[in-house]
Amino acid sequence: MILQIAKKEIHHNLTTLRFALMIILLPVLFVANALIYSLGDGGYTARIDAYNERVRQDRKHIKAQADISLAELALRGPGDIPKRPSRLIFCAGGVDEVVSRSIKLRSDGGISRSSGVDDEDYAWRHPLRLEYKVVSSGSHSTGRVKINWVFIGVLMSFFAILFTFDAIAGERMRGTLSLIMSNSVSRGQVLLGKYLGAFVTLTVPLVMGVLVNLLIILLIGSIPFDSADWLRILGIVGLFALHISVFIFLGLFFSSRVSNAITSLVWLLLTWVCLAFVFPSLLGIFVSNLNPIPSVDEISMQRRAQLDQIEDEWQRGSSPRLKKSPSLERISVTRLWSEYFTVITDMETQIADGHIDRQLQQVQLARDLTQISPIATFQYAMEGLANTSIVGYMNFVKQARRYRQTFIDFIKTEDRSDPESLHIYPVKEGLSQKPVDPDAVPVFEERISYRSVLSQVGLLVLFNLLFFIVAQVSFLMSEVK
Amino acid sequence: MHTLWLVIQREFVSNVLTSRFMIGFMVCLLSTAVAVFVQVDDYEKRLSGYNTAVREAEAEAQEWDLYVDIKPKAHRKPNPLSIFNVGVENDGANTVTVELGKPIFEFISTIWGAPTQKRGSDNPFLAMFLTVDVVFIFKIVLSALAILFAYNTISGEREDGTLKLVLSNSIPRDTIVLGKYLGGMLSLFPIVLMSLIVALLIAVSSPVTGFDGNDIAHIVLIFGVSLLYVSTWYLLGLLLSVWTKTAATTLILSMFIWVVLTSVHANVVTFAVDKFSPYQSQPEGAFLQPAFDVWDEYKKERDTYFKQRGYDDLKASVTWEPETESTGVGSSSYTGGYFRLRRYGVTSVSKADTTIFQELLGYQERLRSEYAGKAEEILNKPAEERERNAKLADALSRISFADVYHFAVGTIAGTDRQSYNDFIQGSRVYKREIVEYLKDKEAFSSRAWFSTDKGAADLADLPVFKHKRLSISESFARASVDILILLAWNIILFMTVYVSFLRYEMS
Repeated sequence: MILQIAKKEIHHNLTTLRFALMIILLPVLFVANALIYSLGDGGYTARIDAYNERVRQDRKHIKAQADISLAELALRGPGDIPKRPSRLIFCAGGVDEVVSRSIKLRSDGGISRSSGVDDEDYAWRHPLRLEYKVVSSGSHSTGRVKINWVFIGVLMSFFAILFTFDAIAGERMRGTLSLIMSNSVSRGQVLLGKYLGAFVTLTVPLVMGVLVNLLIILLIGSIPFDSADWLRILGIVGLFALHISVFIFLGLFFSSRVSNAITSLVWLLLTWVCLAFVFPSLLGIFVSNLNPIPSVDEISMQRRAQLDQIEDEWQRGSSPRLKKSPSLERISVTRLWSEYFTVITDMETQIADGHIDRQLQQVQLARDLTQISPIATFQYAMEGLANTSIVGYMNFVKQARRYRQTFIDFIKTEDRSDPESLHIYPVKEGLSQKPVDPDAVPVFEERISYRSVLSQVGLLVLFNLLFFIVAQVSFLMSEVK
Repeated sequence: MHTLWLVIQREFVSNVLTSRFMIGFMVCLLSTAVAVFVQVDDYEKRLSGYNTAVREAEAEAQEWDLYVDIKPKAHRKPNPLSIFNVGVENDGANTVTVELGKPIFEFISTIWGAPTQKRGSDNPFLAMFLTVDVVFIFKIVLSALAILFAYNTISGEREDGTLKLVLSNSIPRDTIVLGKYLGGMLSLFPIVLMSLIVALLIAVSSPVTGFDGNDIAHIVLIFGVSLLYVSTWYLLGLLLSVWTKTAATTLILSMFIWVVLTSVHANVVTFAVDKFSPYQSQPEGAFLQPAFDVWDEYKKERDTYFKQRGYDDLKASVTWEPETESTGVGSSSYTGGYFRLRRYGVTSVSKADTTIFQELLGYQERLRSEYAGKAEEILNKPAEERERNAKLADALSRISFADVYHFAVGTIAGTDRQSYNDFIQGSRVYKREIVEYLKDKEAFSSRAWFSTDKGAADLADLPVFKHKRLSISESFARASVDILILLAWNIILFMTVYVSFLRYEMS
């Protein structure tokens, strides 16, 4: 019986104006998406080339330093850590244009030592630390809506509303609802039938659009997919289905709730406008305003003040603690230098890490709260699968920190095997002066985790269940006439 | 006249009493309030950043005692109307440093010591959320409301059977159309008005936002344009209502058009132009070499002059050594995309005869500023190309009147790209002023250009960068094209509604 109702529903939908409108709009968007992302400027090819170039340069940098000495490598660091560009950026752009493509883990500037110390020609470097670059959005294109699958998904939720607003209210108005109910069919079955009918009408054109989109991308051939990507795309299609399903239930709820189909559409549209436009952005920005973080100026002032304090204690003033330059002979002086470097590095790291952590926390909070809109949840889940989400970036930052530790540990272990070394990290004179095997240096490998998507999927399932129950209850309670 | 008033009244009452009116009213009011709250906060931050920058620049200016040292800055003052429409207020440079040999240009790729600087955002990651301002809410929510009021005016009455009754009276059809239009607009009017008043109240309650008369005039103009925009949507709804048989079809069709015009069209167009950029000829780096060449020409011209005057070996005439700490005269070197002086020190200035220097400097610095202007033309090309791309995208976006409205308000508020370009252009004008000022004072060939031993430079009357806000008539003139487009849409739609309804068949 359910199937019969669904079939009838599908037949009915196919002949409607909204179906025609959807059939026109969907392919246009999918084709535009495929063409723009595979042929346009700054596409995947350009990104992956830049990434490979970066990796190659890093390897060269490590080799050059390692050939000189372990100490040189220890001070210079392994270079920039690039984030691998996602192939699925055409599905969800996420924060990809907002976050920096790499984290700096090197020290380039040599600073000649200030007065007050005897050997004037001695130049030292700050040891490596993580630096998070800020992306300067020179163009005015950020903050614009991008034509990706997320955008199409948002439009699909709009169509889901258009297909369901009169599913029950319309039949009630025409009087056909009582005819259906006079058969030996339960209300739950009617509801499910209607649901299935709308679901199939929406997903079939969608899946076809997705296939056309992928076909164009494959034919152009600028984005190579591997098997994991196909799995992710499959997951993305699943997300589409979950998302559409939420809005079908929502539509059925309003449709069974009100007596007039038009009223149900009016309500649905207002709800949709709020969920799609007003809520996610406005709430996100609003929440982050409630949870203020220190401004860039404050942070840099704080940093300068602390730096001044350390410098005063160690280098400047009447009795600086650092009076002599480090060398192999002066072990105690070298130790002092090590202490000084550690203090500075700890301070800098603490401020830089603290700053970015607070920024990310602010965004995280805003993001969590905006998830009361299923559209936002859907968007975050898509970004998660496409690996362009802010959570992905946070993981990347964490891994970069871990890599820094791995690198330092490697230096220390290597250093220990050299009997001539003073084993004082991170002073150049205190470390082994022998070259190291560049291949032994640990390489940064980004591990992508899709675990965060699970919570969004769970939330979407929850939305589905919630709206299903609400729709079911309101239909059970509604009058047939 | 009386009948017209009756139709208006009936339409107004039937709209106001519906739930959609109340809901729409609440949604509009609430979201406007939140958006303004957020934007006021943002504006305060921008303003305090601006004030700090101005203060720092003033303190810096106190330190200048040589003419060669002056590096005045042009700061971009935050626009109080950005509370209503953010536009490009958060994008682009905030500060332009004016230096004699430094072309003013903008590259997307970061260059060391670039002339234009942007104050960093406190949290760049928040850019993942769309900026929502009053105009955005009006653009999306008000238009949806206008449609929700208009969709059943004709087709709905026809379904209800009341249209026949109305037409059976001796009311001319044009009166009905006009009445329905005015009645609908009358019910939308309080929503627009109240939202703007709430926005204004929240904005004024903040201590930093002082609106002057000019700002208020601009806000009134924004209000007028918003009404025009709402009217366009209402007329579109009305037209579809005449053309379609059932209210449901009207609503589906008009909502579809609404989605396409407000969110799909402009995004697709802008995104496509952004990715395909028809005007981008070369990467930015390619413009550096021609600029180098200009600089070489400058050196050649200068050296020729030096030779002509018989000073080809300066070291013989004045004792000077490169790279010493004392203040000095410039040779030039090229760094980071613009031209800087490499300092040459004059050892023991007080004893050296610097008349030759002064003469040569008088010639050289004038030439340097001229050549910097030539290089500026070259280095500005990428920005010009970007602007042409953006203009193309804008022109294509204007097919949708939702974007026409957005552009019109951006222009009126002074937060559009044009105003930003005016700022950059203004900083160039300011630079010319500075050069003229130095020329008038004969500063290039004065001793205070490089040495303080015979008195420091007198910089008391150094021109200050003036921020220019447009008057209401200038803003209106600028936005006139967009306002006219909206007006044209209104007239066309109204005429079509009118004609269609006159020929409407009652069956």
